[in-house]
Amino acid sequence: MPPTDALPRLLGRPGDRAEVMEELRRLLPRLEGLPREARTLPFALPPLDARLPQGGLAFGVLHEVAPATEPEMPAAFGFVAAILGRMPPGMLLIVLTPKCTRWGRPHGHGLNRLGLNPARVILVEAADEQQALWAMEEALRSAAPVAVAGVLGTKLDLKTSQRLNLAAGNSGLPCVLLRPAGPAESSAATTRWCVGAAPAARDRFGLVGGWRWRVRLERCRNGRVGEWLMEFDHAAHRFSLAAALADPALSRGASPQPSLARSG
Amino acid sequence: MPRIVSVWLPRWPILRFLAAQVRNPPSREAVDPERPFVLAVTASGGPRIAALNAAAEADGLFAGDLVADARAKAGMLQVRDVAPAADAAALRRLALWATRYTPAVALWEEDNGADGFFLDVTGAAHLFGGEQRLLADLAHRLGGFGLPAHLAAADTPGTAWALARYGEASSSPSPLAGEGRGGGSSDCGTGVPDLPTPTPDPSPQGGGEKNYLPSGREADALAALPIEALRLAPETSTTLRRLGFKRVGALLDKPRAPFAARFATELLRRLDQALGRTSEPLAYVVSPPVYHSLRYLLEPIAAQEAIVAVATRLMKDLVHALVRDGVGARALRLSLYRVDGEVQAIEIGFAMPTRDASHVARLIDLKLERIAGTAEAGMAEAEAFDAGFGFEALGLAVTVAERMDDRQAELAPAHDSGNAERYAALVDTLRQRLGPRSVKRLAPVASHVPERAEAASLAAAATPVWPAPDETRPRPLLLLPHAEPADVMAPVPDGPPCRFQWRGALYDVACAQGPERIAAEWWRHDTPEPTRDYYVVEDKAGHRFWLYREGLYERETASPRWFVHGLFA
Repeated sequence: MPPTDALPRLLGRPGDRAEVMEELRRLLPRLEGLPREARTLPFALPPLDARLPQGGLAFGVLHEVAPATEPEMPAAFGFVAAILGRMPPGMLLIVLTPKCTRWGRPHGHGLNRLGLNPARVILVEAADEQQALWAMEEALRSAAPVAVAGVLGTKLDLKTSQRLNLAAGNSGLPCVLLRPAGPAESSAATTRWCVGAAPAARDRFGLVGGWRWRVRLERCRNGRVGEWLMEFDHAAHRFSLAAALADPALSRGASPQPSLARSG
Repeated sequence: MPRIVSVWLPRWPILRFLAAQVRNPPSREAVDPERPFVLAVTASGGPRIAALNAAAEADGLFAGDLVADARAKAGMLQVRDVAPAADAAALRRLALWATRYTPAVALWEEDNGADGFFLDVTGAAHLFGGEQRLLADLAHRLGGFGLPAHLAAADTPGTAWALARYGEASSSPSPLAGEGRGGGSSDCGTGVPDLPTPTPDPSPQGGGEKNYLPSGREADALAALPIEALRLAPETSTTLRRLGFKRVGALLDKPRAPFAARFATELLRRLDQALGRTSEPLAYVVSPPVYHSLRYLLEPIAAQEAIVAVATRLMKDLVHALVRDGVGARALRLSLYRVDGEVQAIEIGFAMPTRDASHVARLIDLKLERIAGTAEAGMAEAEAFDAGFGFEALGLAVTVAERMDDRQAELAPAHDSGNAERYAALVDTLRQRLGPRSVKRLAPVASHVPERAEAASLAAAATPVWPAPDETRPRPLLLLPHAEPADVMAPVPDGPPCRFQWRGALYDVACAQGPERIAAEWWRHDTPEPTRDYYVVEDKAGHRFWLYREGLYERETASPRWFVHGLFA
């Protein structure tokens, strides 16, 4: 039965308000053409996954990531790499543009330490933004990798983002786009993340225990926005939420497993 | 026995010079081809004649004369410098054009005169209706370019060369005088491959002399020729003439030992090569492919779609042979034969052996698009590719073939095998459009120096194996292409930094972890490189950097310099 028929019937029925909401939540993604049983990549963080419509990063759609400010590009790239490292087994494609290499090129040993096996990664160096977008679309259409990521040097217009979203939808692959810092423009991306740097977690000896990022979910279709201080455990490929502590010295001596806290 | 066609182009430097002159009119006075004209080369005793036209020859000049003497003999002699490099390049282009007959074409080396080429037409002549027809067609087309050529076909390169050079038709002292082509005196023909103006419909008579020698008659054919026909060094032939040997026939039935003692190996080697007793390897202008398919078109084509369509058909022709031998193509070369004799080549590589015609078509399409794109951008590569008046023939050659196992077409296909194919196809596509070096994988290298610790390998290479990360050695996520100098304030010269300036911004260090000392690889450099002390530095806002201090304080340097080498997530 087409969902459009179901809606009026459902709304006209006097009943439990929560039930109607639940039904609407179920129907809305179908209205927007998203596959009903879409695969997702959960963060395994209940407070975060609860805000995402399908309980995780949806496959087959475009996700946009931006650094909070220009110098926080490495943090945003780290967030993207951590997400890619959690993808199911298979090849990962990362498209780079000359502008984004201002902050350096991905270092294999660094990716390895972040839990992303460099042997899975194919790096594509495009000569300009146009070619990078073409390469991303081509990779999505071929469905050869399990995920496609792009690091762009310029902002994305609505039409291009729609193209990428459509290509991702047709192949069922997730597409993560890292764009430069700046005010967000309208785009077809399902989620938009803003990643900022945060002081790292330190163990009792003052050594770096895990990378931390200030992650803000700025926009989420059919979900809710939020802001968290996330920590990534590269050995276990696991995200965790860290208590927001301004002074890293205070976190010294804290338990190795940071307590779950929710903010935003 | 192989069959070799030899093509001699008399007066090649003169013809090439005049053709180049038509294309690029010189700033100073142009050479008049009707009047005596020589090309000079600097030699002992002053400039000497390297090549001369018919008018100069009629005035009694010979190659090798001093130019000063020649000026005295012939009034108003026109002299220009010979350009061997340009001659060789033009001859190479002509040889590439000749690959339309057979992929195995070899230029004449310097000791053969460097003014002609060999075609190995073994197994190719029947495509043109036999050797006689092939020779006629070749002569006809060369005549169309304004090149009066002397052709000969024989079993060995040596005999073919001798017949082309000293065969009956060309034994007259003035070869051009005997030419039967229309407008024979204008040896500055307008269609030499240097020229943009093609002559698609030359006179049916064509230029050139043809010598056709059936198999096994080398000795008979050579007997009547002068001993120079054996490609001997000038001193050797002079000595032989002094000894009374004027014709090759006089040498044929003589005992070998005295000649071996007198002339070392040269004479007997050349004789054996001409008679087919020893093989003579030819250096081909392009390596002959394993599989080759060629199509002549009735009308020249220039449109991209047409080229792709013909290439697809050529690939389909090749598929049968590839399937029969159980191989797939790893590299292809598409040769486009332009109407005016230029040959354009497009090389295509594959990540995995393939026989898929549609995949090949797509890659060729992308490559042509890329070339067109660079043409719009006005880049140098575009000049190399120009459809001109269109292409009259297309050839597709498999230059690298690799074993390709047949797979059963499964009803429920295994997931990974299809994926490997898709992956290879994607890599091919990206490389065609973005350039061969654009798609990479990272492979570890056993080195402690960070910038040397990984290498970008081509995506087609085997999957690299990465070791488990070493927890005690932090490595940045992003490594700068070159370490960038930073102004660092450190409380003690060999301590961690407390504040630094990089790219115009000031960072207050909240926490520094280190040092990790990495010594230079002394076996790599003659002068020792300074040791580096790496610190993981975090500023108050949470930006993480990888800084290093170059040089050990007071041991290697008095004022260590600091660099930012990478950025952590």
